[in-house]
Amino acid sequence: MAVVSGNQDQLHKAHRSRQAGPSAKRKKKSDKKKGDVLEEKKHNPKAFAFNSTVKAKRLQARATEKEQRKLHIPIVDRSTGEPAPFVVVVHGPPKVGKSLVIKSLVKHYTKQNLPEVRGPITIVSGKQRRLQFVECPDDINGMIDAAKIADLALLLVDGSYGFEMETFEFLNILQVHGFPKIMGVLTHLDKFKDVKKLKKTKQRLKHRFWTEIYDGAKLFYLSGLIHGKYPKREIHNLARFISVMKFRPLSWRTSHPYVLVDRFEDVTPPEKLQMNRKCDRNVTLYGYLRGCNMKQGTKVHIAGVGDCNLAGVTVLPDPCPLPSAAKKKGLRDKDKLFYAPMSGLGDLLYDKDAVYININDHLVQFSKVDDEIAGTSRKGKDRDVGEVLVKSLQNMKYSVDEKLENSFITLFGRKPPVSAEDKGDAKASYSEDCVEDMVHMDGPFASEKAESGEDGTIDTDSISESSEQDKSGEKHVVAENEDNDSDEEDDDEWEGDGDKEQQPTPNCDFEEKIEFHNGRLRRKAVSAHDVHDGDLKDSDEDEEDDMDSKSSASSDFAVEDEEDHQTEEEAGNASKWRESLKERTAMRQSTNLMQLVYGKSTLESVTSIHEEQASSEDEESEDDDFFRPKGEANKKSEELDSYDANGEDCSKFTNHGKLKNWKNEEIIESIRDRFVTGDWSKAARRGQASDDDSEDDDDDVSGDFEDLETGEKNESHQTNNVGSRSQNNDDQANEERRLKKLALRAKFDAQYEVSEPPDEEADEKSGSKLHGSEANDGGYFDKLKEEAELRKQINIAELNDLDEAARLEIEGFRTGTYLRLEVHNVPFEMVEHFDPCHPILVGGIGLGEENVGYMQVRLKRHRWHRKVLKTRDPIIVSIGWRRFQTVPVYAIEDRNGRHRMLKYTPEHMHCLAMFWGPLAPPNTGVVAVQNVSNNQASFRITATAVVLEFNHATRIAKKIKLVGNPCKIFKKTALIRDMFTSDLEVARFEGAAIRTVSGIRGQVKKAAKEEIGNKPKKKGGQPREGIARCTFEDRILMSDIVFLRAWTQVEVPRFFNPLTNALQSRDQVWSGMKTVAELRKEQNLPVPVNKDSLYKPIERKQRKFNPLVIPKSLQAALPFASKPKDRSSRKRPLLESRRAVVMEPHERKVHALVQHLQLIRNEKMKKRKLKEDEKRKAHEAEKAKNEELSRKRQREERRGRYREEEKQKKRRAGRNAEI
Amino acid sequence: MVKTSYMRLKGSQQLRQRLLLSTLAGTAILIEDIRPDDTWPGLRPHEISFLRLLENITDDCVVEINETGTKLKYKPGVLMGGRHLVHDCGLSRSIGYFLEPLVVLGLFGKKPLSIKLKGITNDSKDPSVDTFRSTTLPMLKRFGVPSEGLDLKIESRGSPPEGGGEVILSVPMIQNSLSAITWVDEGMVKRIRGVTYSTRVSSQFENTMIHAARGIFNQLLPDVHIATDHKSGSQAGKSPGYGISLVAETTSGCFMSADTAVCHARGKDTDVLEDEEQEELKRPEDVGEQIASVLLGEIEQGGVVDSTHQGLLFLLCALCPQDVSKVRVGKLSPYGIETLRHIRDFLGVKFVITPEPTTGTVILKCIGSGLKNLSRKIS
Repeated sequence: MAVVSGNQDQLHKAHRSRQAGPSAKRKKKSDKKKGDVLEEKKHNPKAFAFNSTVKAKRLQARATEKEQRKLHIPIVDRSTGEPAPFVVVVHGPPKVGKSLVIKSLVKHYTKQNLPEVRGPITIVSGKQRRLQFVECPDDINGMIDAAKIADLALLLVDGSYGFEMETFEFLNILQVHGFPKIMGVLTHLDKFKDVKKLKKTKQRLKHRFWTEIYDGAKLFYLSGLIHGKYPKREIHNLARFISVMKFRPLSWRTSHPYVLVDRFEDVTPPEKLQMNRKCDRNVTLYGYLRGCNMKQGTKVHIAGVGDCNLAGVTVLPDPCPLPSAAKKKGLRDKDKLFYAPMSGLGDLLYDKDAVYININDHLVQFSKVDDEIAGTSRKGKDRDVGEVLVKSLQNMKYSVDEKLENSFITLFGRKPPVSAEDKGDAKASYSEDCVEDMVHMDGPFASEKAESGEDGTIDTDSISESSEQDKSGEKHVVAENEDNDSDEEDDDEWEGDGDKEQQPTPNCDFEEKIEFHNGRLRRKAVSAHDVHDGDLKDSDEDEEDDMDSKSSASSDFAVEDEEDHQTEEEAGNASKWRESLKERTAMRQSTNLMQLVYGKSTLESVTSIHEEQASSEDEESEDDDFFRPKGEANKKSEELDSYDANGEDCSKFTNHGKLKNWKNEEIIESIRDRFVTGDWSKAARRGQASDDDSEDDDDDVSGDFEDLETGEKNESHQTNNVGSRSQNNDDQANEERRLKKLALRAKFDAQYEVSEPPDEEADEKSGSKLHGSEANDGGYFDKLKEEAELRKQINIAELNDLDEAARLEIEGFRTGTYLRLEVHNVPFEMVEHFDPCHPILVGGIGLGEENVGYMQVRLKRHRWHRKVLKTRDPIIVSIGWRRFQTVPVYAIEDRNGRHRMLKYTPEHMHCLAMFWGPLAPPNTGVVAVQNVSNNQASFRITATAVVLEFNHATRIAKKIKLVGNPCKIFKKTALIRDMFTSDLEVARFEGAAIRTVSGIRGQVKKAAKEEIGNKPKKKGGQPREGIARCTFEDRILMSDIVFLRAWTQVEVPRFFNPLTNALQSRDQVWSGMKTVAELRKEQNLPVPVNKDSLYKPIERKQRKFNPLVIPKSLQAALPFASKPKDRSSRKRPLLESRRAVVMEPHERKVHALVQHLQLIRNEKMKKRKLKEDEKRKAHEAEKAKNEELSRKRQREERRGRYREEEKQKKRRAGRNAEI
Repeated sequence: MVKTSYMRLKGSQQLRQRLLLSTLAGTAILIEDIRPDDTWPGLRPHEISFLRLLENITDDCVVEINETGTKLKYKPGVLMGGRHLVHDCGLSRSIGYFLEPLVVLGLFGKKPLSIKLKGITNDSKDPSVDTFRSTTLPMLKRFGVPSEGLDLKIESRGSPPEGGGEVILSVPMIQNSLSAITWVDEGMVKRIRGVTYSTRVSSQFENTMIHAARGIFNQLLPDVHIATDHKSGSQAGKSPGYGISLVAETTSGCFMSADTAVCHARGKDTDVLEDEEQEELKRPEDVGEQIASVLLGEIEQGGVVDSTHQGLLFLLCALCPQDVSKVRVGKLSPYGIETLRHIRDFLGVKFVITPEPTTGTVILKCIGSGLKNLSRKIS
């Protein structure tokens, strides 16, 4: 713990090694040994040089290749300001200790005990770093969502069990959705009793882990539990690893804004709820904006719910801000904030228009529900006064708002009834005030106000207002703070901008002090529409102060409140003249050109954007004016844009009437300097003047802002400094050079930063090595890097010139800000089944991504998935932020570019898949699952894919074979039937190539006419349709089958079904469209079998050929040899097969003799064989005997030799020992 | 399955711009009240022709027009591009009207675009093909468009009313996205170039125009070269006409152009003007002087592009990745302003517009919408 809170400047006594004694001796000896080794190396330096040039070359090539592989294309870092907290997703199978890891880490960072882990937990982990811990839910939907937001994934693995499927599934999901940093954590290692076994297991698991990620991936070991927690030291190490982690920017995330929701409120009006519990709800979602800047009007996708329009986006003050940038080492205790509203931590929550005070459930005793449920148990007890009061409050029929509205109390002397006018702002705040008053819970507020006064950190707003009260000093202040005033006014109207007022402007600083000395500190007055801002500011200060101080309550709040009201009234008066002043300044300001172009009400549209407002403002006004007389409407539109709705569409704008007479000398002289023949220096001055002017302008507008930046950030400080320098030498080239220099410096800073953290030497080393290599390789990569850096600097410089409002307009909400997103009309199920354990991901939708269409992806079935995938079986895919079920058609690309449909995915190959769904840009990763249920033993990831392109038309084809039979054969022409069903179809296929089984090729000609053979069966009936006349290269037979081979388009089903698993109970499995197999199983249907498709044993009848018939005329002409001869077949067999053989006496004798001789020879051979057998047996016996003997001898010899060796070894050992 | 939500717009103004942005951003649009009160209500032939062109180069776009033509429903498809396409632009507007959106669409296609456009090449209403070649194409290169494959070839010229010209436009597609620019240095004019053309009239007209134009420039700049392009025979189209296109190049590589053409008015226009005189055609000397004056006017205004190209410049800036683009233009033209509004509506990109009183120019800054070439195929 001490390390983190870090008093490292404390001096320790240096270690003094022993100078004498045995330990000193030992040291000396070991030193000497080390030295020897070194010297030995030096003896023969050549031994370590390269011997062969080839080898040297190869080594060098390998080194460079390794280096190159590390390089990534540099991307422009477009994030400015503080980064959002990094998301650490803790994932693992159930019961592996996920929440305990989070609890331990939170305890380590904040020294707070977390009772339970629900929802994201934000903590400040260092001076520059915040972390947000999220526990990954067990189901696959949650895993997919968590993988999309993780900056670092901690994969918890039960060491005693080994890897489980969940881990690998999660890894696969991570890989597809951009690969964030991953660290494995082994738990349950105390189950091992045997040290050796433990070591082996660790080794085994580590290597398995490495094969999955990369060699050398970090696997962390948590050895066991101590008092139900992981050991402190190990958690400390783990935290260190997390704290030095560098996160990579992932391309999908850097191009899409997203918010991990860490707080969720239902803000549906209660009346509506009372009417209908199942009405569509309005919800607010809170979280840090990540990814890229979010433009206003961005549509969002809430994972598990669907696409929504944002009804409002508000910037809230950071609930868990980084510590101030004061120079100090480590974190102070009061900086160690943490924020986990879903876990029920943090008692106060600040919203746009309300403050929530959290009271734990067990402390609440007055709620109605409690009363109803536990009313019986508490019957006996008497209620105390407070309780009764609260009860009576609860039993009121009307809300305070309604009462106020109905009663028309004039609260303040000169103000009209509140309810009528300021519905939007004032009402809420007033009522809120009242409520607070009643409940007496606004203690912290008052104390905050008092404190802030004492601290002297008064914001500019309060100063200016206080100065308004001070009648004498009024004008003085106004004169000085003219610009500021107008700015503030702007900001006031535009609610939710807390950042700017937070920092006092430099010229106000002076003012502030004076005010402080005068002791005018009670002026926390807030004008009618300032109330929000007041709240916000308070909350800002709140955050800056210690959280603990909130508990202190002050008693004199009521008095203050009174004063508040009074000053409010006065401020209301004052605001009138201020408004006119503001108008005047606005008139003077040059930016009104922007208003001219974009219309006046740019500020209004900031907070709430509907889709309707996407159409331009002037058109809106036209909408309103639709039913007005025509002339009037035209007039109005002309005011705005001097262009009528049906104007000519022409980019050329020529006004020949107003042409000057360019023959006139004077007029020519006026543009003389715009030509190279003119005065170059004057022309240069022209540019200079303009530059000067622009910069002056910018300073006017945003001088305070830049100063704000200098206070906070080094980088912008530089830009500012250099910016002021550049005013002296305003030249384009200089400007460019300056930016380049800045870029270089920033690059150097970035490099330096890496090696800076002193507590991580390994990282430093690797970092320096990497930079070394970069420096070496120079060239193209460096150029790219420099370009990216230059781009970034230009962006920063240009944006710094703008004031906050304009910046928000053109840039959108910045990453790292804490946003409140209001979404209207979400299904009530989302609120009903809201579960903090499942992270809610809100992702922005890019241009064109809300459209639907066909997508072509390159897909590969996961090798662990058991079955191949079938075309048209629904799968659930996750692309971008979305998850949806769709019906793919698989295909493969043939050599000629045709996409041929596949019935099943290939076993081990990539294939194409085409499906219908919301479009995602090319190169987006896709992960597919077939079933989202939890109780599957097998691997759930079905396939992974990447989007190749999207298309509105699919071009998948499958082979089709039309089969027909000849019904009439002429010479080479035949009429084919059964191939086509209608004459129209024949017409479609005219000219198509056909073929018979025997290989005779042909062509379809036309539909057969009636007169040639196509006669109906019965006279008077219609001729048969679909008979085609075809020609062949040869005459075909009636028994021939004719084929037409063609390709036909395959329709991809236009179906997709968003996975709305957030709209149902979490323990319920989402079920969508079923596969055919599932349906069959459910309904007990057999698989349909086409009899023709079955394989049968092939029976081929012997072909009987008719005898060849040769016409008689031909026979007559043939020569005799070729003439068929008429020979009658024999009735009796030939004589040779029939006759008996009788031997002559001499022959008989010879025969007998030969038989005798053979008999004798056979006998002889038999005898010889017997003899040889005997001999061989004897020989083998002899041989075995000899071998036995020799083996024995050899063994003896060996024994003797070993004995000798042993003796010698012992002797040697003894001698060594003596030495 | 999914209901497409249409963005509702009104009036016929800026139809090209709207369709172009709608196609790029993938937003379906519904335009109502297209010239409802005119004698000839509804869409004009050139607008129909442009819709046909869009159908030609995109895949699966849906265009629905009601009977009177006052209501248009457009659902964009995927930009395909492709080679050897042919489109007849009709005779109501010149080819320049079609080239302006087409060149942007071509950048974001699936395949490089090469299309033959038939119709009127030179016209006084729209920028001529010469101007397009000399000014617009170099402008695109600034945004990182590869220069190979970016070309406009004039096969034959056609003047109104009969047309008969042919050009071949080829646009490469961009691999990923454009690149943001900072383009505020307008420089000084170092040379003036130009092209005159004449179809079915004497080539002497051209020399007269050149002479007149040079007479104005001579006091300012010696480096003035104006080429002649006299077409005859089949290359000259079907109607007589002559015209001139001038471009001034500055030291910082900006191009400013001005052009015009003289020809007989179109058939429909003459119907209206029948009772008046047959609209006197301008003399070549006057044309030369006038267009030189227009060019000097453009130069006087300052800015890195002329008023005609402002819209295109803003559009390209808005299509850049999410970096800051900064450009300087002269007086904002009405077309430029309308473009800015439409960019805001479709792409959500707003410009910061700061005038510079000393030079009379306007500096515009924006952060691009980060549009990528989505229709490109990954191999």
